[in-house]
Amino acid sequence: MIELKNLTKNYGTHSAVQGLSLSIGSGEIFGFIGPNGAGKTTTIKMMGGVMAPTAGSVTIAGIDMQAQPQEAKRRIGFIPDRPFLYEKLTGMEFLRFTADIYGVAAGRFRDKAAATLAMFSLTDWSNDLIESYSHGMKQRLIMAAALLHDPEVLIVDEPMVGLDPLAIIMVKKLFRQLAAQGVAIFMSTHTLKVAEDICDRIGILSRGRLLAVGTVEDLRREANVGSADLEQVFLNLTGHSA
Amino acid sequence: MTHNLMHDVRLLLAPRTLPVLRRRWSCGSGGGRGRLITLGIVGTLFWCGFFGISWRVLRYFKGIEDIGDLLAYKLLSMILVVSFALLLFSGILTALGRLFLSRDLLLVHSLPAAGHCIFIARWIDATVDSSWMVLVFTMPVFLAYGTVFAAGVGYYAATFLALALLAVIASALSALGVMIGVMVVPATRMRSVVILMGVLLFVMLYLAIRLMRPEQLVDPEVFDSLLVYISSLQAPAAPFLPSSWASDSIQAALTGSMATSAFHLAQSASFAVLVFCLAVITADAIYFKGFSKAQTASTAAIRRRGLSERIFRFLPGPVRAFTIKEIKTFLRDQTQWTQLFLIAALLVIYIYNFDALPLEKSPIQTVYLQNLFAFLNMGLALLVLTAVAARFAYPAVSLEKEAIWLVKSSPLSIRSFLLIKFFIYYLPLLALTETLIVGTNLLLKVTPFMMILSTVTVFFLVPGIIAMGIGLGAAYPDFKAENPAQTASSFGGLVFMLACAAYVAAVILLQAGPVYRLFLADLHGRPLSALVWLWIAAAFAAAFLLSLLAVVLPLRFGEKRLRQMHL
Repeated sequence: MIELKNLTKNYGTHSAVQGLSLSIGSGEIFGFIGPNGAGKTTTIKMMGGVMAPTAGSVTIAGIDMQAQPQEAKRRIGFIPDRPFLYEKLTGMEFLRFTADIYGVAAGRFRDKAAATLAMFSLTDWSNDLIESYSHGMKQRLIMAAALLHDPEVLIVDEPMVGLDPLAIIMVKKLFRQLAAQGVAIFMSTHTLKVAEDICDRIGILSRGRLLAVGTVEDLRREANVGSADLEQVFLNLTGHSA
Repeated sequence: MTHNLMHDVRLLLAPRTLPVLRRRWSCGSGGGRGRLITLGIVGTLFWCGFFGISWRVLRYFKGIEDIGDLLAYKLLSMILVVSFALLLFSGILTALGRLFLSRDLLLVHSLPAAGHCIFIARWIDATVDSSWMVLVFTMPVFLAYGTVFAAGVGYYAATFLALALLAVIASALSALGVMIGVMVVPATRMRSVVILMGVLLFVMLYLAIRLMRPEQLVDPEVFDSLLVYISSLQAPAAPFLPSSWASDSIQAALTGSMATSAFHLAQSASFAVLVFCLAVITADAIYFKGFSKAQTASTAAIRRRGLSERIFRFLPGPVRAFTIKEIKTFLRDQTQWTQLFLIAALLVIYIYNFDALPLEKSPIQTVYLQNLFAFLNMGLALLVLTAVAARFAYPAVSLEKEAIWLVKSSPLSIRSFLLIKFFIYYLPLLALTETLIVGTNLLLKVTPFMMILSTVTVFFLVPGIIAMGIGLGAAYPDFKAENPAQTASSFGGLVFMLACAAYVAAVILLQAGPVYRLFLADLHGRPLSALVWLWIAAAFAAAFLLSLLAVVLPLRFGEKRLRQMHL
């Protein structure tokens, strides 16, 4: 469902992502972890079509992002790490805006919007301006909007930042449900526990390079840490000590 | 104590001063230097223009016997009153931003610094920001005074001090007013209230001056007595206005009375210290309370009506989405309303000016003059449109702010996004410009030929100006700008204004010759030769081609730049 081939991004002489190749199948939850400045957000931006790669390609559901960006983006639900929204719209108006852009039919929108707002506990605030929302509420609204058009691929940068414990539990459950329905989920996170809990496979990125990829078991083996948790795996593979 | 205070203030100012110093020492990057040079050239041209005009006017006054100096002093006093008003207005807006609305205030107030230290640091920052432009652009006027009156070094020192003290007084008064105002009106709304008041004040002043018909002052038939006129010029300005003290000290320095000048400077300085101390005491008492209030201003829930959804139902999904979003965010942003008032005021003043033109008194044939004005009016109306577009169309892309990721990650192409923006602004701004043109043409009673020519020309030029606004706005966006005015006054905004002025001038020049020939032929009923017709056709075709390029090229340029931009 998601295919990254030799993906590279240079900022002047600095290489943020170097020759990244990955394949994520339908119904898989893939976690992307790495230290600050490893290139996670840059990778996610290239996958979402927000940034053009210097070299390599991104293919979403068989569609090349460079060749047919509109078609590829139509299949993605993109959730960035910082919830910048149109502050002068209400939550409901923002959902309507997103639905119109992604071509969600008016009849389907009403039920879908009501359901997602309820799922993210935003129904009571749906007619308030977004500028009055808290960080967590904005994050939840972005998630609700990203699911409106039933995307085949979900790309999420730091999904749990700003969410309360209840919302974190709900999002983890939701991701598992979506994966069960065949949605491919690519998420970057610093919360190793979340990655360990819900990801089928995990990739560790450092200085723009993919150091290791596999299930938590595979990574433990590669890091030679016995039955230690993902935190120890991360420290060993990235060459840091606690 | 004083040492600690100065130390804390200096530290609090470091985030502002360090980037300036760093830029000063490392301004070597190609793009930055290019921008700096362009801005420098434009600034110098304006500066020299101000100096030239002031010098000519003052030389003229100097040549008038008996009342020449009086006129120059009266002008000086008026310039200082206007400068003081500008300093106050700009001071209020800047103080509001620096003291209550800036994004870094949360961090600043979390620091272990005393309230009055924070206030003083922010106030110094606001004073510099709000006054440098007024001071820099009034400087050539004072330089012209010094040159024409052959003043000594003392005059320049006194002028510098008088202006600096005037800026300090205006800024301290503004900060005081803002701190008290925020306790009554929420900070976010206060900016709109101030701008609205400023616009109304400007319109009232303008209409008052226009209704007094100042052109009659130079009409000798109107003078009853020279003595009455002189005595009105000699009437003292308001003695309690800080601008009067500045005016008195500069005037005294001009005539070489340095002791008198020093007395008025001391008057200004003592008042500046008094207002500053008052502002610091007030800040200790209420600044933090006001800041807390600004954080908790409530926002009302919006009633769902779905009216705009029904109106724009016929549009395709993405176009409808952006149209509705644009209209709603515009109407809900109070800072935009005041701009609408400003446009309405501009329209009234513009059309009124044409109504007040004394064409019948002119020695030139009226029909000729009416049509000449109508032709030049096209250029003027398009320059008005440029100014309006600089405030609305140019910042349109930047107004997406950091939510631009929504556009870039959506299945909408950047080209479609820019075209949607283009049409959203094109239709209302076309209506505005055609209203200006038709309204003024009706007042001028122009020939049907000129009416058709001007409305058609404007119809073809408006898309070019809007496309330049959207295209250049996309090429040089500022997604972190706090308001559209900030975006419009950036480097890209300057490029847009210059490009529009060049475009309008080129089309007007292309049309001037052919229109003149056509007009005369029409007026005298003379036929035109085939060669002249060919020339006319070529000129109009060139203008059309230019208009086509003005639409296509900027939009493509903006599309390319925005697509490649790193967020």
